[in-house]
Amino acid sequence: MKIRFTLNGEAREMETDERRRVIDLLREDLTMTGTKEGCGTGECGACTILVNSESRLACLMVAPQLDGAEVMTIEGLARNGELHPLQKAFIEYGAIQCGFCTPGMVMASLDLLTRNPSPTEAEIREGISGNLCRCTGYQKIVEAVSAAASARKLGGRP
Amino acid sequence: MKVDRIPFEIGKATPRADGSAKVSGKEKYAADYYEGDFLWAGVKRAGVPHATIKGIHTEAAEALPGVIAVLTWKDIPGENRLGIIRRNQPVLAETVVRHSGEAVALILAESRGALKGAIDSILLEYAPLPGVFSAQEALKESSPLVHEDNPEGNVIKAVSVETGACASAMGECDVVVGGVYETPVQEHAFLETEAGWAYRAENGACVIVASTQTPFRDCFEIAPVLGMDPGSIRVIAPYLGGAFGGKDGITVQCLLALALLHAGGRPVKIWWDREESFLAGVKRMNATMHYRLGAKQDGTFHALECRLYYDGGAYSPLGGEIMTLGAEHAGSAYRIPNVSVKGWALYTNNPVGGPFRGFGVPQVTAAMEQMVDMAARKLGMDPLSIRLQNVVRKGDRNCVGVILTHSTGAAECLETILGHPLWKTRDEWKKGAGLFKVRGVGLACMAHAMGYPPMVPDEARAKIELTAEGKIRVYAGVVDMGQGNASTYQQIAGHILVQDGPAMELVLPDTARTLPSGSSSASRTTYTYGNALIEAATDLKKAILKAASAQTGGTRPEEFVLVPDRVRHIPTGNEISLGELAGSMDGPARTATGYFRMPVTRERLDAIYMGPHLIFSYGAHLVYAEIDELTGQVEIARYLAITDAGKVMSPRVYEQQIEGATAMGIGYALTEDFKVANGSIVTQDLATYIIPTSMDIPRIESIPVEIAEETGPFGMKGAGEIGMSGPMPAIGNAICDACGIRILRAPFIGEAVHEALLSGNAEEADL
Amino acid sequence: MNVYLPGSLSELWSRQEECGMAQFFAGGTDLFVKLRASAQYPRALIGLEAVRELRSIEEREGAIFVGAGASHTRLLSHPLIQAHFPLLAKALRVLGSPPVRNMGTIGGNICTASPAGDALPPLYALGAEVELRRRDRSRRLPIHEFILGPGKTALAENELLYGVWLKKDDSPALFHFEKVGPRKALAIAIASFAALINSTDAGIVKKARFAWGSVGPVVVTSREAEESLVGFPLTRESLQRIVPIVDKIVSPIDDVRASASYRRALAGNLVLRLAEYGPREMGGKGEGLTRT
Repeated sequence: MKIRFTLNGEAREMETDERRRVIDLLREDLTMTGTKEGCGTGECGACTILVNSESRLACLMVAPQLDGAEVMTIEGLARNGELHPLQKAFIEYGAIQCGFCTPGMVMASLDLLTRNPSPTEAEIREGISGNLCRCTGYQKIVEAVSAAASARKLGGRP
Repeated sequence: MKVDRIPFEIGKATPRADGSAKVSGKEKYAADYYEGDFLWAGVKRAGVPHATIKGIHTEAAEALPGVIAVLTWKDIPGENRLGIIRRNQPVLAETVVRHSGEAVALILAESRGALKGAIDSILLEYAPLPGVFSAQEALKESSPLVHEDNPEGNVIKAVSVETGACASAMGECDVVVGGVYETPVQEHAFLETEAGWAYRAENGACVIVASTQTPFRDCFEIAPVLGMDPGSIRVIAPYLGGAFGGKDGITVQCLLALALLHAGGRPVKIWWDREESFLAGVKRMNATMHYRLGAKQDGTFHALECRLYYDGGAYSPLGGEIMTLGAEHAGSAYRIPNVSVKGWALYTNNPVGGPFRGFGVPQVTAAMEQMVDMAARKLGMDPLSIRLQNVVRKGDRNCVGVILTHSTGAAECLETILGHPLWKTRDEWKKGAGLFKVRGVGLACMAHAMGYPPMVPDEARAKIELTAEGKIRVYAGVVDMGQGNASTYQQIAGHILVQDGPAMELVLPDTARTLPSGSSSASRTTYTYGNALIEAATDLKKAILKAASAQTGGTRPEEFVLVPDRVRHIPTGNEISLGELAGSMDGPARTATGYFRMPVTRERLDAIYMGPHLIFSYGAHLVYAEIDELTGQVEIARYLAITDAGKVMSPRVYEQQIEGATAMGIGYALTEDFKVANGSIVTQDLATYIIPTSMDIPRIESIPVEIAEETGPFGMKGAGEIGMSGPMPAIGNAICDACGIRILRAPFIGEAVHEALLSGNAEEADL
Repeated sequence: MNVYLPGSLSELWSRQEECGMAQFFAGGTDLFVKLRASAQYPRALIGLEAVRELRSIEEREGAIFVGAGASHTRLLSHPLIQAHFPLLAKALRVLGSPPVRNMGTIGGNICTASPAGDALPPLYALGAEVELRRRDRSRRLPIHEFILGPGKTALAENELLYGVWLKKDDSPALFHFEKVGPRKALAIAIASFAALINSTDAGIVKKARFAWGSVGPVVVTSREAEESLVGFPLTRESLQRIVPIVDKIVSPIDDVRASASYRRALAGNLVLRLAEYGPREMGGKGEGLTRT
């Protein structure tokens, strides 16, 4: 079937199998490998993307669900080569170790900050609770999201 | 030139080299290659724990559209055996399967769909064999044998450590405490499951890009299987999506190489899914540990007796060595003059046991540190005083009898706890528990050896280059599995050569480009390689300054300094760019190498199999835990981790290690229980094997005790594993502090704690 | 396998007639996990996500209607739900994880009919009714008549769970939900307990509604337990009276997450937690029975 959607601001039209998982479509068909697969069952959050500005798990979606949607993946976050403030905060606060959970973690954090621009620490922990990280112990991720939220209040871009 | 570029500095937090690529999704992991006209490869696994293979029926699979080849052991050109110490694990099973995840057939297909269809279509015909499913069972004379040809029956390795005269000393003790502890199987659960791809290079070499901690060793391990010369196999290790020991050794590498032989010149990709990773990947070995600790009335530890049984699973490439490290650490960080430790690693028909952050040490530390609390309670001492009284200090002999001649900061770690507000105000906090809640505070003290044992030289060869373009290129010889050692290498070289990130390049481990430097493991990655790199970078610095002087008439090298991208002549302020300078140097002059071998003890070499370690990192942990009486659930409210890993070279990377290891230890203590019933995995996925989320881990405060280790690069020691061993005993001690119950089998899940509360588990569990 | 995402109910019915044996799906958070593990695909899948009507949350006929396709995230943050059914919002807050709540729907949670479904105990306690539809027919059932067993519902062939009806009850009530899981997020309930309590100004219980999850094949309720608390304050002693009743009515199982005996103990113990809302001198928060 043919699907049309917007991917990171760019209109896309592609022929795909209806059973194609969105994660395979992104990674294998479009070679956008920033979206990771850690379990295939919605348990780890590594494949978190935004669909119509809400976080979704790309491993539990099939291609037709993208038709007509606005999709954002980790690759779409930086603009004109400049990293998003949230991405910068992840680097600055040491929120990255192996980095395999990082794209999903950033997308989940972005989803959180879109709905709740000034989250408390508990709200941040809840906001990223669907994203498993085996390296960091989460603390530095929480600090990075918190810092990004504060920076945004000071006039950074959303 | 505007001078706003800040060269790397030791001791200062700097952004990681991999940060930008990882946060933007650009970093390519082994799982991220979909190059060219590649084929998917995958494995048909046994599905039963122990059986004789009567038939492998592949015809139906071979006939499926999109299936290129189905390979069995008969297709292996060389010796069908893998292994590091003991070469006894078939790549593909021959006549017997010994665990349910054992590989039986390898399939190549055009798509993942076709691959799955083929795997499902292969029929395995078995005659079941009786299995052995626990370490104690494996020791029994009457047990079935996992490896018929093993002269020691089901024993992988047995070790014995005797110092002093334990048996008679135990009788001299005023207080003896004892217990039988059991720790669970732990799953690494790295986010990136085992993955890799392989292709044929133009020169015919087999190139394997894999998520591996051991690229150099891999070449030597798989070459005989393929009947190839190790030199014709090239292994490249990009950044790993986590490993923690689970990628120390062969996972997909040999399968990829074998598949490549049948791929008709096309690249091959393997990526285990989560369930396969759980089924086939190595695990932290479960251990059953019989402990007796004897002390004098004044609190002095006098005798320790331990019997350790580690379940190595069906093959266990390093099972004997893992148990041995446990035996060496059985007495944790204490002076105990009379010690008797006997340990066994055993074959069973359970999943393969293997390395996992901490090797065999978290198991024994969990037991020993709870024994210490039991002794303290029996003696009426507080748990911090008894530890301070017995903890090893520099110049002491440890439990194996080795004199600790290097930095020994265990006491300083404990003293830091003594002075910390969380220790001083613990009673107030405990009193604040709400309805149905009880609170407890727990301690643990740990030691962790650095590097390989003396029998295995722990060495690294560093390489660094001034490229023709004038960049400083560091050839990272040891894999970065996420811990950030590659960034630290860049920091070391940048510091010595006065360069910053943009002036530098990193080459990740690649057997064709970097030099053999050992595995990314054993708390040795930065210590060993860092030392070698200091030598290389220092030599390159000399060469650069010499070249600058040669290019500038009438000057001496001492008149030059390096600045980012350039060399400056101090008297005149004139600068030459590194690019320009590189043009004046020939290739060999622009390259420098360094070598380092970790020092080992020269005494007591026969104290234990492969010899005892000399240099240790230390730690002391304090935990605040709240127990819900209605559910038994344990919540960690605060966590304090004090660590002696020498001087801190890179604070953020250091904190990441301590926080990450602590979180992993909290999971090990509270929820992680890889359950296997009669050789079948019960917790098959991340829905049932429970690792902590962001809501389960508290704020962790980490304080380094910065005692310089003289032999360490810039005074550092390994920090990757020491944090792993603290949480389980600290939390066990906190639960006992809160409720007076001692739970002998971890993890301390709500149900176990609830049951212990109901039965009022007495702390004493006499043997 | 064909996948359709009709944009309206009428299109949905046409698709269904065309496909014959089609399976409906909403968020897909359960279905796609199951499909991954199975060797067989259904002939066709019809997704509900594009049918606006199925996502509505509104006041109708003096009750609140929630379309089967409304996501957990929308429900738990919706003013009507927060105002009238904070118990439901509280339970949904601990369901899965944020992306699972964004994708998963109330209809999916009901039709999956897992005894551990987090939305179910509140829906039972609130006396929810479900509306089932075919192209030509609609019927309503109380939720306990709809869910028949693990994975089993009263859905007839070609019938669709259209939505849930919740009666507004504005008298002040204490609402309480607790889920015991193996961890704090991404957790399937080992046991859960929902309670709604009305009381006098003096803190004496006038009316109580209880529902337990994960301690039987379906959500467990007990009129006897509810009535035995009437006339008593929320103290440990009075709540303790309920425990033997709970013990009789639950029929938990052993599984990978917990043993039956632990679940049984939890079912009773979770009731005791209500003492937290009781008088301060009895160790409670002394907040009385006002909404928290």
